[in-house]
Parts: sequence; structure tokens; C-alpha cells
Amino acid sequence: MVAAQNGHGGAYRRLLGEMSEWLTRYFQRRLPPGNVDDAIQETLLAVHRRRHTYDPQYPLGPWLAAIAKNKWVDQLRSLARRPVDELPDDMAVGDHEASVVSSSVLASLLDELRPAQAQAILLVKVQGYSIEDASGQTGLSPSAVKMNIHRGLARLSAIIEKTHDVE
Amino acid sequence: MSNESLIADLSSDLTPVQRRSMLREGGLVLALGAAELMLFLGLGAMRPDMSHMAGSPFLMWRVGSLGLLAAIACVLAIRSFSPTAQPRRGLMLACALTVAAIVGGVFVTPDGASERALLDRINPASGIVCATSIFVLSVPIVALLGALMRKAAPTQPRLSGLASGIAAGACGAFVFAFCCPFNDPLYVVVWYSIGCAAVTAVARWRLPRRFRL
Repeated sequence: MVAAQNGHGGAYRRLLGEMSEWLTRYFQRRLPPGNVDDAIQETLLAVHRRRHTYDPQYPLGPWLAAIAKNKWVDQLRSLARRPVDELPDDMAVGDHEASVVSSSVLASLLDELRPAQAQAILLVKVQGYSIEDASGQTGLSPSAVKMNIHRGLARLSAIIEKTHDVE
Repeated sequence: MSNESLIADLSSDLTPVQRRSMLREGGLVLALGAAELMLFLGLGAMRPDMSHMAGSPFLMWRVGSLGLLAAIACVLAIRSFSPTAQPRRGLMLACALTVAAIVGGVFVTPDGASERALLDRINPASGIVCATSIFVLSVPIVALLGALMRKAAPTQPRLSGLASGIAAGACGAFVFAFCCPFNDPLYVVVWYSIGCAAVTAVARWRLPRRFRL
């Protein structure tokens, strides 16, 4: 990173490549698969824009992890804002995504929410069901499902921000 | 765009960057605060009986606690602009220090002050002027801290905004403490707190707006 701060493009390229691999593992455990690439690229851009803030006296890992965590929260917030009926096709996959999420940090964080909020997020934002389908499965009205998603994601963001290390 | 092409784009034509220095940023805030104080005193705003009051416990409490709070709050605000910082702990420390300073005011209340009527002690007409002056004096500091924050990488910008507001408010109150002619801790606690709270609210609302890492 120090070489990158001094304008060494080759070193920077290698560093970003290694960061990209680390970020892939980091976000795969924390976000629905459809959001992983966005989160990685957003983080790499933030690293680039803020590379002057890295202090070589301290290890690089916590600096990168702090930026990645910020982008994770951003992605969760954007999930909450995104219209639920315009989900990209690559999120609307059934069993595979459920199995990924079942062992992820995101799934463990969902336990911190009220069951109705966690179920609504899992069904609509992770497994790609429509609001109507989720409403049918949960027995709640479509507005209640939307509200649970919105409040649940806001609560998740707040929990992550307040927690120093989320694993 | 794939991750690989993004990395290629970012690493091509890479220019050297000047590393962020908290010392430099602290020096800038200190210089601005000192310039503001010199300008304020140079305009003849210092209380006329300063030489007489300089050694009084009340003035020492007022200037000392505000100076200490301003210095610590500025350090905490600047530290909070680092991605790895945990501003929540710093804010708790600043709040604890504020409470300690307020409690300290009880011990420096001048004789006879506690026998006066509450409205007379608080003196709202002058108090509003004091709170407004503190707010105005804090604006340059909060603007500088905001610029430093946007240039750095705070990962909790709302808390950094809050810390910046507290720091700017304390700096403004510290400068104003040399001018304010009132010698009642209750007056100071009420109106200085209102002035600082107003700056803090504005900083908390304005500084994190449209900020992205």
C-alpha cells in the first residue's frame, strides 16, 4: 500500500487483486449473491479514493475491513431502498442461495431481528420471492411484509454499525 | 465491468498521494481557533475586568474546562475521521467530561448567586446573545472539520459529524468565555450548552449529508 501511495501502479494492481479475493470471501458471507460484485467494486473504488488515509504504522487488514464493513452497510441500505418488484434475475434462485445464506454471517444476523422481519428479508431479498408470494407464505399483508423488510434492514444496518467485529 | 478491468483502470496512471496526517489536521484546527481568538480579542471584545477576574475560581473553571473539552473533542473528532476509529467511545468520553465540568461548576458558584431568582440568574435576554455568539464563533471550526472529514475516510460519518459539532461548539464557547461578563455557573451551563447543542445539531445534520467513502 505504501508503494501504491507513492504512485507505484504495479504494486497497486497486485494489492487490489489480493484485496478483491479477500473481499469476495468477505461479501459472499454477508450479502445475497446478487449484491456481492457491486459491493466488491464499491469497496475497491473507496479504497482507491481514500488510499491517502492509510497509515503505514498500522496493519492494512483492519483498515480494509472497516471500509468493507461500511460498504456492507451501504449495500444493506440499498437493498432496503430497492423496489421489491424489480429484483434482478440472478437473485431469484431457490435452493442454492438458501444454502449459501444458511451458513453466512447475514443469516446469523437475521437471528437478531424479530422473526417476521427476518423471514420477510430472507424470502424477498435473499431468495427472490415476490412480495405477494412472501405475503402468502407468511400470512401477512403485502404492506406488512414491505414494512418488515424496511425496518428489518434498517435494524440490521444499525446492529452492524454498532458492533465492532461482526463474524 | 468486471473486477479485473476495474483494477486495471484504477492502477493505470496512478499518481502519488499525500498521506493523511492527524497532526497536520490538528494543527489546522488549532491555528484557526487561535486566529479566531486573537481576532476576537483584538476587536476589543475581552471582558473589561479580565485582569481582576483572571485568578478567580469561576473564570478558571469556565476557561479551563472549556479549553480542555475543546482540545479533547477536537482530537476525538479528528481521530474519528479514520476508518478504523470507534467514535462512539470518544463521544462517551466527551459527554462524561462535559458532565464533570458541569458538576465542577457547583463548587465555583460565587457567594450570593444561589439566593437570586432563577430567571434573574439565567437572564434570557443576554443568554440568547451568548448562545448565538457561540454558534457564530463555532461555524468556521465546524466548516474546517467538515472539510477535513470529507477528505478523510470516516466509516461512521454521522458519529463523526456529531463529534465535529461537539468540538466546534466547545471551541466557540472557549473563545467566547474570554468575553462573557456573566459570573454565574448556572448561566454558563444553560446558555453555553444551548449554543453548543445548536452547533452539534447542525453538524450532525449537515456534515454526513451526501457523504460516501
